[in-house]
Amino acid sequence: MNTALDPTLYLPQLARILKITPMTAREKFFQLELQRPLNHRPGQFVMLSRLGVGEAPISITCGPRADNLLEMVIRDAGSLTHALHALQPGQTLGVRGPFGSGFDLESMTGHPLVLIVGGLGLVPMRSLIQAVLARLDQFPSLTIISGCRTPAEELFREEMRALERLGEIHGKIRVIRLVDRTDHLPWDGRVGLVTAPVAEVTLDPARTLVALCGPPVMYKFALLELKSRSIPDDHIFVDLERRMKCGVGKCGHCQINQLTCCQAGPVFRYDRIAQLPEALL
Amino acid sequence: MRAFLVPKQDVITWIQRLGVERTVYFPQRVGRESYRFLPVKPDSTIEFHGYRPTLAPPGKKLSPSTDTLFFFRNRDSEHPELQPVLDGAERVLAGVRPCDLKGIELMDRVNREGHPDPHHLTRRAHTTLIGCDCLAPCDERCFCDAVGSLAWRANADLFIIPLAEELLLEVRSEAGEALLHGCAFPPCPDPDALKARIEASRARPFGRQWPTDATRVPELLADGGTARIWEKHVAACFSCGSCNLVCPTCYCFDLHDTLELPDFQSGQRIRTADGCMLPTFAQVAGGHDFRPTPAARQKHRVKRKFEYLNDRFDTTSFCTGCGRCGRQCTAGIDIFAIVCDLIDHAEAS
Repeated sequence: MNTALDPTLYLPQLARILKITPMTAREKFFQLELQRPLNHRPGQFVMLSRLGVGEAPISITCGPRADNLLEMVIRDAGSLTHALHALQPGQTLGVRGPFGSGFDLESMTGHPLVLIVGGLGLVPMRSLIQAVLARLDQFPSLTIISGCRTPAEELFREEMRALERLGEIHGKIRVIRLVDRTDHLPWDGRVGLVTAPVAEVTLDPARTLVALCGPPVMYKFALLELKSRSIPDDHIFVDLERRMKCGVGKCGHCQINQLTCCQAGPVFRYDRIAQLPEALL
Repeated sequence: MRAFLVPKQDVITWIQRLGVERTVYFPQRVGRESYRFLPVKPDSTIEFHGYRPTLAPPGKKLSPSTDTLFFFRNRDSEHPELQPVLDGAERVLAGVRPCDLKGIELMDRVNREGHPDPHHLTRRAHTTLIGCDCLAPCDERCFCDAVGSLAWRANADLFIIPLAEELLLEVRSEAGEALLHGCAFPPCPDPDALKARIEASRARPFGRQWPTDATRVPELLADGGTARIWEKHVAACFSCGSCNLVCPTCYCFDLHDTLELPDFQSGQRIRTADGCMLPTFAQVAGGHDFRPTPAARQKHRVKRKFEYLNDRFDTTSFCTGCGRCGRQCTAGIDIFAIVCDLIDHAEAS
């Protein structure tokens, strides 16, 4: 037998659920304790499983950290995530990963950052936000435009509000929160599409880096907006969603033309996929 | 390289005897005209001539369509137990034609790349390959020569060239040599001269050929054809995925879990073959489907076989030309005809 083979490629490490907090009608926040630190980069994902139910790719929502904690936000969208929503703290989950390229923080250092985030896109983007906040002295500015459909669907409301208030006293940070419609609910942000405030944000085509994460339709309009502001394609990063089954470049589900999203992505520099059919829509 | 010239019956007896000592798969007829790689028994019919391609390629013995990755127990306890499954049983795949030898090599490359797949590679490390040449095209659907498969020998441990009453048996590796332990086959006096004569007598053209120089096919396909071409060929497609299931280089899969009675505390995580022609293959959690139409899925499949994976896996074609997809297609869709249309379109424009 070839002893160099790792028999654990598909074997998850077991993790204990520490905390489950409802966030909206459909999303819950999960905090897990792993057996060993994940050592992930922002924008990476894990394959999360409940033994006997199945496995699915889930974004990591916490920034890089040295301890054994892993944070995720899970929408009740299918049979596995439905089963996950029924779990209690103390129960065990399987975790493989981290997988994917993620954001290369080193190459972003020193650049003004603009993050355009729609809906669940805030979940992976929060890992980047936390990573940048942890070394804010190395970034000239951080602008976050975060939109969702209604106030009831807003994720991490208190965190985003706190960041918004911090921005009022800290010149480097600016947060713009939007909803498509208020749905007659109290709302302290703006009403409009997430792409609308791009026009008022300071963008330096030579320096600013923009990261996008949201539903497919958001990319189309955000990219048009950025093009009109002369932001070059190699200053834009897009975080793409695919339904990975393996995370290790084998199952074929996340293939975009020649690229395997779970290996080359899910975060891509836009110029590398701009010409690829099926990448964005 | 040692070579033997052996009476056909002696080789048949040798393979039947090997099948007693270990698991040996050989293409055997099932029913009227279906062939499958089945374990050889002492009374199995071993035929070298009149080969018809098997329903499934022999590579499925290395990555089965249903494959257990690990067992688990006590899933609700604080400490569930996980037990990975690796199949290290010795096996021989015999009567493997050049197209399928190439298919196995491409699957080895896929499974060695990046994160090596322990399940495929463990089986592979315990598998010996006995190849068998094709002196005539197996049927009118074959196009192995057009995609560079016909001359494939590289991964065969032993290679058989079936002449009329004798077989030329070449030893190509130590594992192949080991299978001949105890055999007193007569050496072939001048195998190179014999092979040159066989080569000269091989049918030409061998099977279907592209309407252009084969080396230009990936470049000609890169322009993507027209919607009209994709829609024309996919019009009859049922999106059943049969083409994916029988392809020697389709390796996409899904993972899911099973649970066992009575208490649903133990079970297994299994990998099952999946197919890019199936309707929800590229759908994501929010419901968005990146390839919602059969035409988009067929374009992905065809380009995967002829363009997308070539550089990544160092091959001029990821299709082996075995013709299985066309043979098994319930709607008669033929990948060779699609590629010919794409070539014609690219050359005309």
